[in-house]
Amino acid sequence: MSAPAAEEKGLYAWLDRRYGITPLIDFLKHKEVPLGGHSMIWYYLGGLTLFFFTIQLATGVLLLAYYQPGEATSYESIRFLTTKVPFGWLVRSMHCWSAHLMILSLVAHMFSTMVLKAYRPPRELTWVTGFVLFALALGFGFSGYLLPWNELAFFATAVGTDSMKAVPAIGDWLVQVMRGGTDVSINTLYRFFALHVVVLPLFTVGIVSGHLVFIQRQGMAKAIAHDNPERGMRFFPDFALRDLLLWLICLIVLASLAVFLPYGPGIPGVEWELGKKANPLAPAYPGIKPEWYFLWVYQLLKEFPPHLLGIEGPQAAIALVSVLFGIWALVPWLDRKARADRPSPAFTDLGMAALIFLGYLTLKAWDIGGGGAEVPDPHLVARASAFWGLGIAAATVVVRLLSGGARYFDLTAAAALQIVLHGFFGLPWLAAGGICVALLAATLFWRMARARNAQAGGQP
Amino acid sequence: MPPSGVKANRRSVLDLLLGAGVLGWMGTVLFPVLRYLKPLGAQAQNGPIKLSPEEQAKLEKERAVIVRAGAARVLVLEDAEQRLRAMSAKCTHEGCTVQYVPGESVIWCACHNGRFDLDGRVLAGPPPRPLEKFACHREGDGSIVVQLGHGQEAA
Repeated sequence: MSAPAAEEKGLYAWLDRRYGITPLIDFLKHKEVPLGGHSMIWYYLGGLTLFFFTIQLATGVLLLAYYQPGEATSYESIRFLTTKVPFGWLVRSMHCWSAHLMILSLVAHMFSTMVLKAYRPPRELTWVTGFVLFALALGFGFSGYLLPWNELAFFATAVGTDSMKAVPAIGDWLVQVMRGGTDVSINTLYRFFALHVVVLPLFTVGIVSGHLVFIQRQGMAKAIAHDNPERGMRFFPDFALRDLLLWLICLIVLASLAVFLPYGPGIPGVEWELGKKANPLAPAYPGIKPEWYFLWVYQLLKEFPPHLLGIEGPQAAIALVSVLFGIWALVPWLDRKARADRPSPAFTDLGMAALIFLGYLTLKAWDIGGGGAEVPDPHLVARASAFWGLGIAAATVVVRLLSGGARYFDLTAAAALQIVLHGFFGLPWLAAGGICVALLAATLFWRMARARNAQAGGQP
Repeated sequence: MPPSGVKANRRSVLDLLLGAGVLGWMGTVLFPVLRYLKPLGAQAQNGPIKLSPEEQAKLEKERAVIVRAGAARVLVLEDAEQRLRAMSAKCTHEGCTVQYVPGESVIWCACHNGRFDLDGRVLAGPPPRPLEKFACHREGDGSIVVQLGHGQEAA
């Protein structure tokens, strides 16, 4: 740190003498965002997620000014907030909308990172911290859901905490610790309240800081195998101003949504009408569904039979979810082609197959094609969802063919085949999945054998 | 000057002691925290519970009522033959609260579409186990009593 000349005056010089901020400014001046290879739009999604998170912090603190956790006060204080407090409805509506938009931009950010292989070395830990932030965001959604203490919240929490019993060895302990008892009660709300307003924000701010430091130190990832000469956009001010403009646009969109649709768009899983107060002695009501980003797990729990391979169905379902999450978290190490900076269409395909897999389950959970019946005919729902699911699959294939370079569709094909077998031929979802996994394994084996033969044949 | 091997040995013993100390320290911090977080066990209610007049009125009006029994919930219903039946109201799938559907003579869970017969046995859907059944009878004075703790699971 070089001390500036003594005659320099002003706040900047004063700070610089003490903290040496000139190198930091120099760093920002030279920081660049890589250009070319793919659209720039993917670089904005992380910042956008952070923007929605700051909205959550601000509106969350405002909600705390009136919210009172308690059996006789949680529901009542939220009702008071939304009906009596000036702009209370707006603050709550902003908090809810921003929560959904945050998850949406986070998921989009994660999938774009997946498809662009921005997780490849040296950015593995950026992916892992991002994955942890994704899990924290789900935790925010789940814990915040209970706080209004309404009927929907009560059952969502009953199911969500109950699924934790599937964790080996400590499952029962975990359920009790989460619930503050054997069943969901106001004690659960106290624990979720602490989690939602203290524990999760602290962890999130800490991990976001790490995520950002990694990105600042390493810069944004270039497009894979991109032989364009080094070309970039200055981060400051060119990129930062674009970021700011996008945030401003999103703030206007958010405010408009919050004002004109204060209780959400009315789609199951994206609505937050307060409804009735939680009553532990009332049965679950028909059509009860969790938030949209949990719908696929909800549907998975419905698709699994009571028993599978000697364990109970729900345990098997949660085990499958854990395995899928585990694979997703380890992608930077599994994708060996991307590690060598070579195109890895198989992992693009994995991302797309995940999208189709999750999309189909979500569509089914929405009872698409059920005709609005209280308990829709599962075959009609499976078929209608299959049409839309195959539509998603076809769209991803067309986009990938048009963008060029995609030569691998095995996983997409497997996901689509499962939809066909289940939706059109009426096979149980799990059986259809089993057939597809077996076919996929056979195909992979065949491809590996062929590659080995080609290698052996090519050698003298 | 002692040979380097001796020095490394002494260092590794100290490292081991330090590591064990840190582990022990973490254990003494973590154990009370974990124990603190585990809630006190709810008092298991094993004796009989008597339905209140309001609960009994609800049972007569809606053919079923869910009553609290300690931390648990019990579904008491009157079937088509006017026989009283009682079972756990907690679905064995993911813990939602089930309901009696008089028209179909089934117990239904709205969360994941699990169905049980009136003995608590799984008819359809994902629940892995039957609902726990309890003995239930009407006393001489007309009040309804559910016997907890001696329930048996449906075969």
